[in-house]
Amino acid sequence: MSWQGELHKVLSATYKNWIISKRNAFTLFELVFWPFIGLLSIGLLTRFLELGDDMVAFVLVGAIALSILQISQIDVAYILLFDLWSKSIKQTFVAPVRGYHLVLGAMLFGVIRGVAVFIVLAAASSHLFGFDFLAGGVATVIIFLAGTFLTAASIGMVVCISILLFGQRADVAAWTLSGIMMLVSGVYYPVSILPGPLQILSKSIPLTYLLEYYRSAYGYGDHQILLGIALALLYFVASLLILNLAIERARSTGMMLRLSE
Amino acid sequence: MPALRAEKICKSFKRLFQEKKVLFDISLSIERGEIFGILGPNGAGKTTLMSIFSTLIRPDGGSLEVLGRDALRDTHAIRERINISSGNPNFPWSLTVRENLQHSAMLYGLSGRSLQRSVEEAISAFELGPQSDAKFETLSTGQKQRVSLAKSILNRPEILFLDEPTSGLDPEMAMKTRDLIKKIYQEEEITVVLTTHYMPEAEELCDRIAFLREGRLVALGTPGELKRALQIGHRIFVEYDGEVDPMKLRIIPGVMEVKELSGRVEMVFDHSGRAVSSIIKAFEGADILDIGIEEPDLEDVFLELAR
Repeated sequence: MSWQGELHKVLSATYKNWIISKRNAFTLFELVFWPFIGLLSIGLLTRFLELGDDMVAFVLVGAIALSILQISQIDVAYILLFDLWSKSIKQTFVAPVRGYHLVLGAMLFGVIRGVAVFIVLAAASSHLFGFDFLAGGVATVIIFLAGTFLTAASIGMVVCISILLFGQRADVAAWTLSGIMMLVSGVYYPVSILPGPLQILSKSIPLTYLLEYYRSAYGYGDHQILLGIALALLYFVASLLILNLAIERARSTGMMLRLSE
Repeated sequence: MPALRAEKICKSFKRLFQEKKVLFDISLSIERGEIFGILGPNGAGKTTLMSIFSTLIRPDGGSLEVLGRDALRDTHAIRERINISSGNPNFPWSLTVRENLQHSAMLYGLSGRSLQRSVEEAISAFELGPQSDAKFETLSTGQKQRVSLAKSILNRPEILFLDEPTSGLDPEMAMKTRDLIKKIYQEEEITVVLTTHYMPEAEELCDRIAFLREGRLVALGTPGELKRALQIGHRIFVEYDGEVDPMKLRIIPGVMEVKELSGRVEMVFDHSGRAVSSIIKAFEGADILDIGIEEPDLEDVFLELAR
Protein backbone atom coordinates (compact mmCIF):
# COMPACT_ATOMS: atom_id res chain seq x y z
CA MET A 1 0.00 0.00 0.00
CA SER A 2 1.39 3.42 -1.03
CA TRP A 3 1.70 6.32 1.40
CA GLN A 4 -1.29 7.96 -0.34
CA GLY A 5 -3.33 4.84 0.40
CA GLU A 6 -2.26 4.87 4.05
CA LEU A 7 -3.05 8.58 4.27
CA HIS A 8 -6.52 8.05 2.83
CA LYS A 9 -7.23 5.29 5.33
CA VAL A 10 -6.36 7.80 8.06
CA LEU A 11 -8.43 10.53 6.44
CA SER A 12 -11.45 8.21 6.08
CA ALA A 13 -12.30 8.80 9.76
CA THR A 14 -11.71 12.56 9.41
CA TYR A 15 -13.99 12.62 6.36
CA LYS A 16 -16.78 10.70 8.07
CA ASN A 17 -16.67 12.81 11.24
CA TRP A 18 -16.64 16.00 9.14
CA ILE A 19 -19.66 15.01 7.03
CA ILE A 20 -21.70 13.82 10.01
CA SER A 21 -20.78 16.91 12.04
CA LYS A 22 -21.65 19.41 9.33
CA ARG A 23 -25.10 17.80 8.89
CA ASN A 24 -25.85 17.83 12.58
CA ALA A 25 -27.17 20.95 14.32
CA PHE A 26 -26.11 19.28 17.57
CA THR A 27 -22.50 19.87 16.49
CA LEU A 28 -22.93 23.63 16.73
CA PHE A 29 -24.13 23.18 20.30
CA GLU A 30 -21.14 20.92 21.03
CA LEU A 31 -18.71 23.37 19.49
CA VAL A 32 -19.99 26.76 20.60
CA PHE A 33 -23.13 26.81 22.70
CA TRP A 34 -22.34 24.52 25.64
CA PRO A 35 -18.67 25.48 26.01
CA PHE A 36 -19.65 29.16 25.85
CA ILE A 37 -22.51 28.77 28.35
CA GLY A 38 -20.19 26.81 30.66
CA LEU A 39 -17.50 29.48 30.46
CA LEU A 40 -19.99 32.30 30.94
CA SER A 41 -21.51 30.65 34.01
CA ILE A 42 -18.14 30.03 35.61
CA GLY A 43 -16.95 33.53 34.70
CA LEU A 44 -20.04 35.15 36.23
CA LEU A 45 -19.57 33.03 39.35
CA THR A 46 -16.06 34.46 39.72
CA ARG A 47 -17.59 37.94 39.47
CA PHE A 48 -20.19 37.10 42.12
CA LEU A 49 -17.50 35.73 44.44
CA GLU A 50 -15.40 38.82 43.72
CA LEU A 51 -12.32 36.73 42.94
CA GLY A 52 -9.04 38.37 42.05
CA ASP A 53 -7.55 38.17 38.52
CA ASP A 54 -5.25 35.30 39.44
CA MET A 55 -8.16 33.24 40.81
CA VAL A 56 -10.30 34.09 37.77
CA ALA A 57 -7.46 32.85 35.56
CA PHE A 58 -7.21 29.66 37.65
CA VAL A 59 -10.89 28.83 37.18
CA LEU A 60 -11.14 29.87 33.53
CA VAL A 61 -8.11 27.75 32.57
CA GLY A 62 -9.98 24.77 34.03
CA ALA A 63 -13.21 25.61 32.21
CA ILE A 64 -11.42 25.99 28.87
CA ALA A 65 -9.40 22.79 29.36
CA LEU A 66 -12.50 20.77 30.20
CA SER A 67 -14.35 21.96 27.07
CA ILE A 68 -11.38 21.13 24.82
CA LEU A 69 -10.99 17.73 26.45
CA GLN A 70 -14.67 16.89 26.03
CA ILE A 71 -14.91 17.91 22.39
CA SER A 72 -11.67 16.19 21.36
CA GLN A 73 -12.31 12.94 23.22
CA ILE A 74 -15.82 12.60 21.77
CA ASP A 75 -14.39 12.94 18.24
CA VAL A 76 -12.14 9.93 18.85
CA ALA A 77 -14.99 8.03 20.50
CA TYR A 78 -17.08 8.76 17.39
CA ILE A 79 -14.88 6.20 15.57
CA LEU A 80 -17.19 3.60 17.04
CA LEU A 81 -20.14 5.64 18.27
CA PHE A 82 -21.36 6.72 14.80
CA ASP A 83 -20.99 3.16 13.50
CA LEU A 84 -22.59 1.77 16.64
CA TRP A 85 -25.65 4.01 16.33
CA SER A 86 -26.04 3.24 12.62
CA LYS A 87 -25.21 -0.47 13.19
CA SER A 88 -22.53 -0.32 10.53
CA ILE A 89 -19.47 -1.36 12.52
CA LYS A 90 -18.73 -4.36 10.35
CA GLN A 91 -18.47 -2.16 7.24
CA THR A 92 -15.44 -0.51 8.84
CA PHE A 93 -13.79 -3.59 10.30
CA VAL A 94 -14.10 -5.79 7.24
CA ALA A 95 -11.94 -3.21 5.46
CA PRO A 96 -8.12 -3.27 5.65
CA VAL A 97 -7.80 -0.57 8.32
CA ARG A 98 -5.97 -0.73 11.60
CA GLY A 99 -6.79 0.96 14.88
CA TYR A 100 -4.21 3.69 14.36
CA HIS A 101 -5.71 4.69 11.00
CA LEU A 102 -9.05 5.35 12.65
CA VAL A 103 -7.63 6.98 15.78
CA LEU A 104 -5.29 9.35 13.93
CA GLY A 105 -8.02 10.35 11.46
CA ALA A 106 -10.58 11.02 14.16
CA MET A 107 -7.97 12.74 16.31
CA LEU A 108 -7.15 15.10 13.46
CA PHE A 109 -10.77 16.22 13.36
CA GLY A 110 -10.81 16.42 17.16
CA VAL A 111 -7.74 18.67 17.10
CA ILE A 112 -9.39 20.98 14.55
CA ARG A 113 -12.55 21.19 16.66
CA GLY A 114 -10.56 21.50 19.88
CA VAL A 115 -8.54 24.43 18.48
CA ALA A 116 -11.79 26.06 17.33
CA VAL A 117 -13.27 25.70 20.82
CA PHE A 118 -10.08 27.11 22.36
CA ILE A 119 -10.19 30.15 20.07
CA VAL A 120 -13.86 30.81 20.84
CA LEU A 121 -13.43 30.41 24.60
CA ALA A 122 -10.13 32.27 24.80
CA ALA A 123 -11.59 35.19 22.85
CA ALA A 124 -14.77 35.19 24.94
CA SER A 125 -12.94 35.00 28.27
CA SER A 126 -10.55 37.73 27.21
CA HIS A 127 -13.38 40.02 26.10
CA LEU A 128 -15.81 39.32 28.95
CA PHE A 129 -13.52 38.69 31.91
CA GLY A 130 -10.21 40.25 30.91
CA PHE A 131 -8.44 36.89 30.92
CA ASP A 132 -5.04 37.02 29.19
CA PHE A 133 -4.81 33.53 27.74
CA LEU A 134 -1.36 34.23 26.29
CA ALA A 135 0.24 35.20 29.61
CA GLY A 136 2.64 32.26 29.38
CA GLY A 137 3.38 32.79 25.70
CA VAL A 138 2.34 30.96 22.54
CA ALA A 139 4.60 27.96 23.30
CA THR A 140 2.81 27.38 26.60
CA VAL A 141 -0.55 27.33 24.83
CA ILE A 142 0.74 24.93 22.18
CA ILE A 143 2.24 22.52 24.73
CA PHE A 144 -0.89 22.70 26.88
CA LEU A 145 -3.15 22.01 23.89
CA ALA A 146 -0.94 19.19 22.56
CA GLY A 147 -1.00 17.44 25.93
CA THR A 148 -4.76 17.92 26.23
CA PHE A 149 -5.35 16.47 22.75
CA LEU A 150 -3.22 13.41 23.54
CA THR A 151 -5.12 12.91 26.81
CA ALA A 152 -8.46 13.37 25.05
CA ALA A 153 -7.50 10.79 22.41
CA SER A 154 -6.68 8.28 25.14
CA ILE A 155 -10.08 8.87 26.78
CA GLY A 156 -11.80 8.47 23.40
CA MET A 157 -9.96 5.19 22.86
CA VAL A 158 -10.99 3.95 26.31
CA VAL A 159 -14.62 4.60 25.27
CA CYS A 160 -14.05 2.53 22.10
CA ILE A 161 -12.36 -0.24 24.10
CA SER A 162 -15.30 -0.31 26.54
CA ILE A 163 -17.77 -0.67 23.66
CA LEU A 164 -15.75 -3.48 22.05
CA LEU A 165 -15.49 -5.33 25.36
CA PHE A 166 -18.89 -4.74 26.90
CA GLY A 167 -21.18 -3.89 24.00
CA GLN A 168 -23.49 -1.04 23.15
CA ARG A 169 -24.40 -0.08 26.71
CA ALA A 170 -20.81 0.97 27.33
CA ASP A 171 -21.35 4.06 25.15
CA VAL A 172 -22.27 5.88 28.36
CA ALA A 173 -18.50 5.96 29.02
CA ALA A 174 -18.27 8.66 26.36
CA TRP A 175 -19.85 11.16 28.71
CA THR A 176 -18.74 9.88 32.10
CA LEU A 177 -14.97 9.61 31.71
CA SER A 178 -14.41 13.33 31.19
CA GLY A 179 -16.61 13.94 34.27
CA ILE A 180 -14.31 11.73 36.34
CA MET A 181 -11.33 13.63 34.92
CA MET A 182 -12.96 16.88 36.03
CA LEU A 183 -13.27 15.56 39.56
CA VAL A 184 -9.76 14.22 40.07
CA SER A 185 -7.49 16.39 37.94
CA GLY A 186 -8.29 19.71 39.61
CA VAL A 187 -10.19 21.48 36.87
CA TYR A 188 -11.79 23.98 39.27
CA TYR A 189 -9.61 23.56 42.39
CA PRO A 190 -6.07 22.54 43.30
CA VAL A 191 -5.68 18.78 43.69
CA SER A 192 -4.17 19.37 47.13
CA ILE A 193 -7.69 19.74 48.57
CA LEU A 194 -8.68 16.25 47.39
CA PRO A 195 -8.75 13.35 49.88
CA GLY A 196 -5.51 11.32 50.00
CA PRO A 197 -6.43 8.41 47.68
CA LEU A 198 -7.87 10.78 45.07
CA GLN A 199 -4.68 12.86 45.21
CA ILE A 200 -2.70 9.74 44.31
CA LEU A 201 -5.09 9.11 41.43
CA SER A 202 -4.79 12.73 40.29
CA LYS A 203 -1.00 12.33 40.08
CA SER A 204 -1.48 9.60 37.50
CA ILE A 205 -3.58 11.82 35.21
CA PRO A 206 -1.77 13.99 32.63
CA LEU A 207 -4.46 16.68 32.76
CA THR A 208 -3.44 17.47 36.34
CA TYR A 209 0.07 18.38 35.17
CA LEU A 210 -1.18 20.22 32.09
CA LEU A 211 -3.43 22.42 34.20
CA GLU A 212 -0.60 23.10 36.68
CA TYR A 213 1.64 24.02 33.75
CA TYR A 214 -0.78 26.49 32.22
CA ARG A 215 -1.67 27.95 35.62
CA SER A 216 2.00 28.42 36.51
CA ALA A 217 1.99 31.32 34.04
CA TYR A 218 -0.52 33.04 36.35
CA GLY A 219 1.61 32.64 39.47
CA TYR A 220 0.46 29.26 40.70
CA GLY A 221 3.79 27.68 41.62
CA ASP A 222 5.85 24.98 39.95
CA HIS A 223 4.88 22.46 37.34
CA GLN A 224 6.06 19.08 36.09
CA ILE A 225 5.07 19.39 32.46
CA LEU A 226 7.62 16.84 31.23
CA LEU A 227 6.05 14.21 33.46
CA GLY A 228 2.59 15.25 32.23
CA ILE A 229 3.55 14.99 28.57
CA ALA A 230 5.34 11.68 29.19
CA LEU A 231 2.23 10.29 30.90
CA ALA A 232 0.01 11.58 28.07
CA LEU A 233 2.26 9.86 25.50
CA LEU A 234 2.41 6.67 27.55
CA TYR A 235 -1.39 6.49 27.88
CA PHE A 236 -1.82 7.29 24.20
CA VAL A 237 0.46 4.45 23.08
CA ALA A 238 -0.97 2.05 25.68
CA SER A 239 -4.56 2.91 24.67
CA LEU A 240 -3.71 2.35 21.01
CA LEU A 241 -2.22 -1.06 21.75
CA ILE A 242 -5.16 -2.05 23.96
CA LEU A 243 -7.60 -0.79 21.32
CA ASN A 244 -6.00 -3.14 18.76
CA LEU A 245 -6.25 -6.01 21.24
CA ALA A 246 -9.90 -5.12 21.92
CA ILE A 247 -10.64 -5.12 18.17
CA GLU A 248 -9.10 -8.59 17.86
CA ARG A 249 -11.00 -9.78 20.93
CA ALA A 250 -14.26 -8.46 19.46
CA ARG A 251 -13.49 -10.53 16.35
CA SER A 252 -13.00 -13.62 18.53
CA THR A 253 -16.02 -13.17 20.79
CA GLY A 254 -18.34 -12.24 17.94
CA MET A 255 -18.99 -8.82 19.50
CA MET A 256 -18.12 -7.35 16.10
CA LEU A 257 -21.18 -9.09 14.64
CA ARG A 258 -23.45 -8.31 17.60
CA LEU A 259 -22.64 -4.60 17.42
CA SER A 260 -23.83 -4.60 13.80
CA GLU A 261 -27.17 -6.26 14.53
CA MET B 1 -4.09 -22.93 -5.49
CA PRO B 2 -7.71 -22.60 -4.35
CA ALA B 3 -9.24 -19.21 -3.58
CA LEU B 4 -10.16 -20.41 -0.11
CA ARG B 5 -9.37 -23.54 1.87
CA ALA B 6 -10.94 -24.21 5.26
CA GLU B 7 -9.93 -27.09 7.52
CA LYS B 8 -11.99 -28.05 10.57
CA ILE B 9 -13.28 -24.54 11.23
CA CYS B 10 -15.27 -24.35 14.43
CA LYS B 11 -16.82 -21.45 16.29
CA SER B 12 -18.82 -20.92 19.45
CA PHE B 13 -20.24 -17.80 21.02
CA LYS B 14 -20.33 -17.16 24.75
CA ARG B 15 -23.05 -15.08 26.35
CA LEU B 16 -22.92 -14.66 30.10
CA PHE B 17 -22.28 -18.18 31.32
CA GLN B 18 -23.65 -19.99 28.31
CA GLU B 19 -21.63 -21.20 25.38
CA LYS B 20 -23.30 -22.01 22.09
CA LYS B 21 -21.38 -23.88 19.45
CA VAL B 22 -22.43 -22.63 16.03
CA LEU B 23 -19.93 -24.27 13.65
CA PHE B 24 -18.51 -27.78 13.87
CA ASP B 25 -15.36 -28.78 11.93
CA ILE B 26 -16.23 -27.20 8.60
CA SER B 27 -13.79 -28.26 5.89
CA LEU B 28 -14.14 -27.17 2.29
CA SER B 29 -12.23 -25.71 -0.59
CA ILE B 30 -13.40 -23.04 -3.04
CA GLU B 31 -11.69 -22.85 -6.41
CA ARG B 32 -10.70 -19.62 -8.09
CA GLY B 33 -13.28 -18.30 -10.52
CA GLU B 34 -16.06 -20.32 -8.93
CA ILE B 35 -19.46 -19.13 -7.70
CA PHE B 36 -19.88 -21.02 -4.48
CA GLY B 37 -23.14 -21.10 -2.54
CA ILE B 38 -23.61 -21.64 1.17
CA LEU B 39 -27.15 -22.74 1.90
CA GLY B 40 -29.00 -23.79 4.98
CA PRO B 41 -31.99 -23.00 7.16
CA ASN B 42 -32.03 -20.12 9.64
CA GLY B 43 -29.50 -20.64 12.39
CA ALA B 44 -27.43 -23.07 10.32
CA GLY B 45 -24.30 -20.89 10.70
CA LYS B 46 -24.14 -19.42 7.18
CA THR B 47 -23.52 -15.81 8.22
CA THR B 48 -21.01 -16.88 10.88
CA LEU B 49 -19.10 -18.93 8.33
CA MET B 50 -19.21 -16.05 5.84
CA SER B 51 -17.95 -13.68 8.54
CA ILE B 52 -15.05 -16.02 9.28
CA PHE B 53 -14.22 -16.42 5.59
CA SER B 54 -14.21 -12.64 5.14
CA THR B 55 -11.95 -12.29 8.26
CA LEU B 56 -14.51 -10.16 10.09
CA ILE B 57 -14.46 -12.64 12.98
CA ARG B 58 -11.97 -15.31 14.00
CA PRO B 59 -12.68 -19.01 14.29
CA ASP B 60 -12.02 -20.82 17.58
CA GLY B 61 -10.17 -23.63 15.86
CA GLY B 62 -9.12 -24.99 12.50
CA SER B 63 -7.15 -23.38 9.72
CA LEU B 64 -8.19 -21.03 6.94
CA GLU B 65 -6.29 -20.00 3.84
CA VAL B 66 -7.62 -17.19 1.68
CA LEU B 67 -5.87 -16.41 -1.62
CA GLY B 68 -2.94 -18.51 -0.48
CA ARG B 69 -2.45 -16.63 2.79
CA ASP B 70 -3.07 -17.70 6.35
CA ALA B 71 -6.32 -15.93 7.22
CA LEU B 72 -5.61 -16.06 10.95
CA ARG B 73 -2.29 -14.23 10.56
CA ASP B 74 -2.29 -12.21 7.34
CA THR B 75 -5.76 -10.75 7.79
CA HIS B 76 -4.79 -7.24 6.75
CA ALA B 77 -3.27 -8.32 3.44
CA ILE B 78 -6.30 -10.51 2.71
CA ARG B 79 -8.78 -7.71 3.44
CA GLU B 80 -7.11 -5.60 0.74
CA ARG B 81 -8.10 -8.26 -1.83
CA ILE B 82 -11.62 -9.23 -0.77
CA ASN B 83 -14.90 -7.49 -0.05
CA ILE B 84 -18.30 -8.34 1.34
CA SER B 85 -21.91 -7.27 0.91
CA SER B 86 -24.35 -8.20 3.64
CA GLY B 87 -28.09 -8.61 3.62
CA ASN B 88 -30.07 -5.83 5.33
CA PRO B 89 -26.99 -3.62 5.24
CA ASN B 90 -26.33 -0.53 7.29
CA PHE B 91 -24.08 2.43 6.64
CA PRO B 92 -23.78 5.76 8.47
CA TRP B 93 -27.29 7.13 8.09
CA SER B 94 -26.59 10.78 7.49
CA LEU B 95 -24.04 10.22 4.73
CA THR B 96 -25.35 10.22 1.17
CA VAL B 97 -24.87 7.23 -1.13
CA ARG B 98 -21.89 8.90 -2.80
CA GLU B 99 -20.34 9.94 0.53
CA ASN B 100 -20.74 6.44 1.93
CA LEU B 101 -19.05 4.97 -1.12
CA GLN B 102 -16.28 7.57 -0.96
CA HIS B 103 -15.75 6.80 2.71
CA SER B 104 -15.65 3.06 2.02
CA ALA B 105 -13.21 3.58 -0.86
CA MET B 106 -10.95 5.56 1.49
CA LEU B 107 -11.05 2.69 3.99
CA TYR B 108 -9.61 0.53 1.21
CA GLY B 109 -6.85 3.08 0.61
CA LEU B 110 -8.18 4.38 -2.69
CA SER B 111 -7.31 7.97 -3.46
CA GLY B 112 -7.50 10.64 -6.13
CA ARG B 113 -8.81 9.70 -9.56
CA SER B 114 -8.94 5.97 -8.88
CA LEU B 115 -11.23 6.67 -5.91
CA GLN B 116 -13.54 8.87 -7.97
CA ARG B 117 -13.55 6.40 -10.87
CA SER B 118 -14.33 3.43 -8.60
CA VAL B 119 -17.17 5.31 -6.90
CA GLU B 120 -18.70 6.45 -10.20
CA GLU B 121 -18.41 2.96 -11.71
CA ALA B 122 -20.07 1.40 -8.67
CA ILE B 123 -22.90 3.97 -8.74
CA SER B 124 -23.41 3.31 -12.42
CA ALA B 125 -23.18 -0.51 -12.15
CA PHE B 126 -25.94 -0.64 -9.54
CA GLU B 127 -28.07 2.12 -11.06
CA LEU B 128 -27.72 4.38 -8.04
CA GLY B 129 -27.33 7.60 -10.03
CA PRO B 130 -30.72 9.10 -9.06
CA GLN B 131 -30.09 8.32 -5.38
CA SER B 132 -26.41 9.25 -5.28
CA ASP B 133 -27.03 12.44 -3.31
CA ALA B 134 -29.73 10.97 -1.06
CA LYS B 135 -28.92 10.21 2.56
CA PHE B 136 -28.66 6.51 3.35
CA GLU B 137 -31.48 6.76 5.91
CA THR B 138 -33.94 7.85 3.20
CA LEU B 139 -33.33 4.85 0.90
CA SER B 140 -35.65 1.89 0.42
CA THR B 141 -34.52 -1.60 1.46
CA GLY B 142 -33.66 -2.47 -2.12
CA GLN B 143 -31.68 0.71 -2.64
CA LYS B 144 -29.72 0.06 0.57
CA GLN B 145 -28.95 -3.41 -0.70
CA ARG B 146 -27.64 -1.94 -3.94
CA VAL B 147 -25.42 0.50 -2.01
CA SER B 148 -23.96 -2.47 -0.18
CA LEU B 149 -23.34 -4.30 -3.45
CA ALA B 150 -21.82 -1.17 -4.99
CA LYS B 151 -19.50 -0.84 -1.98
CA SER B 152 -18.42 -4.45 -2.37
CA ILE B 153 -16.84 -3.89 -5.79
CA LEU B 154 -15.01 -0.63 -4.99
CA ASN B 155 -11.61 -2.29 -4.45
CA ARG B 156 -12.02 -4.75 -7.35
CA PRO B 157 -11.92 -7.74 -5.01
CA GLU B 158 -10.55 -11.14 -6.03
CA ILE B 159 -13.11 -12.81 -3.78
CA LEU B 160 -16.53 -11.28 -3.32
CA PHE B 161 -18.57 -12.48 -0.34
CA LEU B 162 -22.30 -11.89 -0.75
CA ASP B 163 -24.46 -12.59 2.28
CA GLU B 164 -28.09 -12.79 1.12
CA PRO B 165 -27.47 -10.38 -1.78
CA THR B 166 -31.09 -10.20 -2.94
CA SER B 167 -32.68 -10.12 0.48
CA GLY B 168 -35.46 -7.52 0.54
CA LEU B 169 -35.34 -6.79 -3.18
CA ASP B 170 -38.43 -6.90 -5.39
CA PRO B 171 -38.40 -9.65 -8.02
CA GLU B 172 -37.31 -7.34 -10.84
CA MET B 173 -34.43 -5.86 -8.86
CA ALA B 174 -33.48 -9.31 -7.56
CA MET B 175 -33.25 -10.53 -11.15
CA LYS B 176 -31.22 -7.47 -12.14
CA THR B 177 -28.93 -8.04 -9.18
CA ARG B 178 -28.38 -11.66 -10.18
CA ASP B 179 -27.56 -10.50 -13.70
CA LEU B 180 -25.13 -7.94 -12.27
CA ILE B 181 -23.45 -10.58 -10.11
CA LYS B 182 -23.06 -12.76 -13.20
CA LYS B 183 -21.74 -9.79 -15.20
CA ILE B 184 -19.18 -8.80 -12.54
CA TYR B 185 -18.21 -12.45 -12.17
CA GLN B 186 -17.64 -12.82 -15.90
CA GLU B 187 -15.96 -9.46 -16.51
CA GLU B 188 -13.70 -9.41 -13.47
CA GLU B 189 -13.09 -13.17 -13.34
CA ILE B 190 -13.50 -13.14 -9.58
CA THR B 191 -14.52 -15.80 -7.08
CA VAL B 192 -17.97 -15.31 -5.58
CA VAL B 193 -19.10 -16.88 -2.32
CA LEU B 194 -22.75 -16.30 -1.54
CA THR B 195 -25.36 -17.31 0.96
CA THR B 196 -29.02 -17.31 0.04
CA HIS B 197 -32.37 -18.60 1.16
CA TYR B 198 -33.70 -18.44 -2.36
CA MET B 199 -33.11 -21.81 -4.00
CA PRO B 200 -33.72 -20.81 -7.65
CA GLU B 201 -31.07 -18.12 -7.12
CA ALA B 202 -28.54 -20.68 -5.88
CA GLU B 203 -29.42 -23.00 -8.74
CA GLU B 204 -29.08 -20.19 -11.28
CA LEU B 205 -25.81 -18.78 -9.98
CA CYS B 206 -23.80 -21.41 -8.15
CA ASP B 207 -21.29 -23.84 -9.60
CA ARG B 208 -21.12 -25.68 -6.29
CA ILE B 209 -23.09 -25.57 -3.10
CA ALA B 210 -22.38 -26.36 0.54
CA PHE B 211 -25.34 -27.18 2.75
CA LEU B 212 -25.13 -26.34 6.41
CA ARG B 213 -27.46 -27.64 9.08
CA GLU B 214 -27.05 -26.81 12.76
CA GLY B 215 -23.48 -25.72 12.16
CA ARG B 216 -22.42 -28.85 10.30
CA LEU B 217 -21.58 -29.29 6.65
CA VAL B 218 -24.07 -31.92 5.51
CA ALA B 219 -23.59 -31.86 1.74
CA LEU B 220 -21.25 -30.38 -0.82
CA GLY B 221 -21.34 -30.56 -4.61
CA THR B 222 -22.84 -29.20 -7.79
CA PRO B 223 -26.64 -28.83 -7.82
CA GLY B 224 -26.83 -31.92 -10.07
CA GLU B 225 -24.55 -33.96 -7.83
CA LEU B 226 -26.59 -33.08 -4.79
CA LYS B 227 -29.86 -34.11 -6.46
CA ARG B 228 -28.37 -37.41 -7.58
CA ALA B 229 -26.67 -38.10 -4.25
CA LEU B 230 -29.89 -37.59 -2.38
CA GLN B 231 -31.86 -39.67 -4.88
CA ILE B 232 -34.52 -37.06 -5.15
CA GLY B 233 -36.79 -38.33 -7.92
CA HIS B 234 -38.70 -36.55 -10.65
CA ARG B 235 -42.40 -35.94 -10.08
CA ILE B 236 -45.05 -37.05 -12.55
CA PHE B 237 -48.75 -36.40 -12.36
CA VAL B 238 -51.40 -38.04 -14.51
CA GLU B 239 -55.03 -36.94 -14.70
CA TYR B 240 -57.21 -39.65 -16.16
CA ASP B 241 -60.72 -40.88 -16.73
CA GLY B 242 -61.40 -44.58 -16.14
CA GLU B 243 -60.07 -47.40 -13.97
CA VAL B 244 -56.42 -47.77 -13.01
CA ASP B 245 -54.98 -50.32 -10.60
CA PRO B 246 -52.64 -48.44 -8.21
CA MET B 247 -50.78 -51.68 -7.42
CA LYS B 248 -49.59 -51.80 -11.04
CA LEU B 249 -48.02 -48.38 -10.53
CA ARG B 250 -46.33 -49.25 -7.24
CA ILE B 251 -44.50 -52.26 -8.66
CA ILE B 252 -43.00 -50.38 -11.62
CA PRO B 253 -39.19 -50.36 -11.17
CA GLY B 254 -37.98 -46.89 -10.23
CA VAL B 255 -41.28 -45.67 -8.80
CA MET B 256 -40.54 -44.41 -5.28
CA GLU B 257 -43.86 -42.98 -4.18
CA VAL B 258 -47.48 -43.05 -5.37
CA LYS B 259 -50.20 -40.71 -4.19
CA GLU B 260 -53.79 -41.29 -5.37
CA LEU B 261 -56.35 -38.56 -5.62
CA SER B 262 -59.70 -38.61 -7.35
CA GLY B 263 -58.93 -38.94 -11.09
CA ARG B 264 -55.33 -37.99 -10.51
CA VAL B 265 -52.19 -39.86 -9.53
CA GLU B 266 -48.95 -38.21 -8.40
CA MET B 267 -45.77 -40.25 -8.37
CA VAL B 268 -42.12 -39.75 -7.57
CA PHE B 269 -39.76 -41.81 -9.68
CA ASP B 270 -36.12 -42.32 -10.54
CA HIS B 271 -35.63 -40.65 -13.89
CA SER B 272 -32.49 -42.64 -14.68
CA GLY B 273 -34.53 -45.78 -15.49
CA ARG B 274 -37.33 -46.44 -18.01
CA ALA B 275 -40.15 -45.73 -15.61
CA VAL B 276 -42.04 -43.19 -17.74
CA SER B 277 -43.06 -45.63 -20.51
CA SER B 278 -44.04 -48.23 -17.90
CA ILE B 279 -46.13 -45.65 -16.08
CA ILE B 280 -47.93 -44.68 -19.26
CA LYS B 281 -48.54 -48.37 -20.07
CA ALA B 282 -50.16 -48.80 -16.66
CA PHE B 283 -52.85 -46.36 -17.78
CA GLU B 284 -53.97 -48.57 -20.66
CA GLY B 285 -57.70 -48.86 -20.47
CA ALA B 286 -58.11 -45.34 -19.14
CA ASP B 287 -58.09 -41.99 -20.96
CA ILE B 288 -55.14 -39.82 -20.01
CA LEU B 289 -56.49 -36.25 -19.79
CA ASP B 290 -53.30 -34.49 -18.72
CA ILE B 291 -49.77 -35.48 -17.85
CA GLY B 292 -46.76 -33.55 -16.56
CA ILE B 293 -43.23 -34.18 -15.34
CA GLU B 294 -41.34 -31.94 -12.96
CA GLU B 295 -37.61 -32.13 -12.41
CA PRO B 296 -36.47 -31.98 -8.79
CA ASP B 297 -35.05 -28.60 -7.88
CA LEU B 298 -32.74 -27.32 -5.21
CA GLU B 299 -35.76 -26.60 -3.04
CA ASP B 300 -36.30 -30.36 -2.81
CA VAL B 301 -32.65 -30.87 -1.93
CA PHE B 302 -32.92 -28.15 0.71
CA LEU B 303 -36.06 -29.66 2.23
CA GLU B 304 -34.49 -33.11 2.25
CA LEU B 305 -31.30 -31.88 3.91
CA ALA B 306 -33.03 -29.58 6.35
CA ARG B 307 -35.08 -32.46 7.78
